[in-house]
Amino acid sequence: MNTQSKSTSPAGLVRGLVDPAGPAARLVGPIGVTGVGYVAYVAVMAAGYYYNLTFVQLGLIDLGTRRVGLASSTVSRAMAGFAVAALVVAVVTGRTMDRRGWGGSLPVKIRLLFAVVTTQTVLTLAAPRVSTSAGFVAWIVVCSATLGVGMPVAFSLMVDLVAVRHRGHVAAVAAGLAFAVAAVYPLEWRIEAFAPVMATMMVPAAVVLGVLSLRRFAFVDRLARQHERFGIGRFCRPTPIATASLAFWVPLAAMFAIFFVDSVGFLRIIETPAYVSTSWQSPEIGPRLVIAAAHLVGAAMAGVLYTAFGRRWLLVWIFGLFAFTHLLYTTHLHTGPAGMDPPLALPLFYVLAVSFYTTLNFALWPDLSTPATVGTRTALGVGIAGWLASFLSTSLALYSESLGLTLLDHLSLVNALALLLAVTWPVVAYIRRARSLATRRSPP
Amino acid sequence: MNLTLVPLLLVALLMASADSGVETVQLLVSGSHDLTNQPGAVVVADATARVAVDTAVPGPVYVIGGEVVVSGEVAGDIVQLAGVVRVDDSATIDGELRHVGGSLAVAPGAVIGQRTSLPVATGPRAGPAGLLMSAVTALLLALVAARLRRRRGAALDNVADAIVGHPVVTLTVGALGALTALTVFVFMAFTLLLLPVALVGVVVGVVATAHGAIALGHVVGARLPVVDPGWATPLGVIVVVAILQVLSIIPVVGDLLGLGALLTGLGAVLVTYFGITPLRVDVLPA
Repeated sequence: MNTQSKSTSPAGLVRGLVDPAGPAARLVGPIGVTGVGYVAYVAVMAAGYYYNLTFVQLGLIDLGTRRVGLASSTVSRAMAGFAVAALVVAVVTGRTMDRRGWGGSLPVKIRLLFAVVTTQTVLTLAAPRVSTSAGFVAWIVVCSATLGVGMPVAFSLMVDLVAVRHRGHVAAVAAGLAFAVAAVYPLEWRIEAFAPVMATMMVPAAVVLGVLSLRRFAFVDRLARQHERFGIGRFCRPTPIATASLAFWVPLAAMFAIFFVDSVGFLRIIETPAYVSTSWQSPEIGPRLVIAAAHLVGAAMAGVLYTAFGRRWLLVWIFGLFAFTHLLYTTHLHTGPAGMDPPLALPLFYVLAVSFYTTLNFALWPDLSTPATVGTRTALGVGIAGWLASFLSTSLALYSESLGLTLLDHLSLVNALALLLAVTWPVVAYIRRARSLATRRSPP
Repeated sequence: MNLTLVPLLLVALLMASADSGVETVQLLVSGSHDLTNQPGAVVVADATARVAVDTAVPGPVYVIGGEVVVSGEVAGDIVQLAGVVRVDDSATIDGELRHVGGSLAVAPGAVIGQRTSLPVATGPRAGPAGLLMSAVTALLLALVAARLRRRRGAALDNVADAIVGHPVVTLTVGALGALTALTVFVFMAFTLLLLPVALVGVVVGVVATAHGAIALGHVVGARLPVVDPGWATPLGVIVVVAILQVLSIIPVVGDLLGLGALLTGLGAVLVTYFGITPLRVDVLPA
């Protein structure tokens, strides 16, 4: 056997990863270790978010209502409990990460992710076999615990893997990919359709994470040291912000409102055949490809705007886009001719808003953190704004459905909330500016 | 819906709002539809609409794209601004059939209350007429550019610096601004009450886009071997318009490049507040 065939064998590849001068290290060479970190971050976040968007958010509802046969109101309560439990576990995990210094420890995060992905794989494979309410509750409890651990661990990877100046763009790629793939595949929103797709994705991921957890690799060591340069977030420079400060809680409140408005409207829209069958679940591939492309373009736009202007302008756009989107939907419900397909502009504006805020959600919490605080901040940010808001609003949407509230009445309420937020945010910004000017002018 | 139909849509809505009998407007943007006796105006964009033999449609019907086939009765007017209209032998149009643009075919047996024709060239801008139009546009923009260069040179510099320094940011802002503004204006126009506001918005948009094109000319002009700097910007504008004209000949890619350039200019105008302030983006650590 010649030297070349030895060096490209699996064993040689592993040796190369351990050895900085080995063949695998040379394979890493063209994009560099930092580039590998970017790819790894995008892979973890895009896959994780895809799982959350499809299997958890849509599959769980299908599991509870159709497969187990529970009432919508019961599933809504279960999902609210799921959200609260996941949040509590996320905060405990985040606090533990910060206390033990794991925020800047990539090897620990890889091991935790390995445990999360392995458990979720088992849960995913087990889900289609759940048929009793007791089994459903048990499934939810274990799932909320593992996702609670996964939230701060996955979102805090950014401090290890992505340089501050590239965070907007890298977040955009991850968010855009997750939504684009979710828009195209799978078409059927049933737990039986989701489970095999997810398992196919998760088993190799678990294997890779297992190998990385059990052996030491030179490129992982180099990635693990990057937090010394990348770790301090954009909004913590020059001075880190405190967790108990408006600088952290105002964006958190804004993001909570955005997630809430999105989910509370979206669930009822996708329950309406006229809207969903002409967009997200169109039998034709064309509209779904257009939606996927819009996700990619929207995320890219958000990445550029976030990098150039920061979070405030992006929040203004998001609030405005949501207000306008819901206005379009309610107007169409009021005046749209019966029996005619709704225009694709409706979901496209929705898609734009969603891609915007998801990109922001990926980049914002690490940028409001340092390696010493990233566990708690990402747990609170993603847990409260992303997770709790989504599931509480989903529960509310299911509850409103069980009350018999019409789609128009429901969306009118959502529209009112979206408009209120669209107006409130610039007013708050104006008041803050006025306060800052007044403080500057006041005598010492 | 094809965004190039937006100006025609606004014209159609303006005409509909002038008709005192119209209270609602229905817009058909895609697919195939059978028109019914539902009251209100109908605007046909990229869709195919048909008035069946035994159907009476109140009208008016505005055609700005797509195809309309009339085999039954239309009580009001049919106004064709573009697209294809076919009137069959069995058709009756009680109002006026007004042909402004597009392809019209009327069967000899059709009964039409009144028929007028005011053809306006709406085809693709090609040939001598298209070139003349581009030349006039270039000349007008060059004149404005020369004046802007003299009176508000610093403002023009700000917009040009934004284009050169941050093309991706300005393209993003331009694309997002144009997309949102166009949709909002169309949405406003549909209320009929806010149609004048939408038209003002479109005018402001056109002015901002022209300002962006002049700034692009300023960028190009600075790279031309012109001795007198006063001539650089106007000549640059002429070069930009010529390049856009050449790009428009290349299908899809050329159109996208031209649109991208105009949106970059528009974005630069927006982020610099029409050149009042330089574009300041956050400086991020390495």
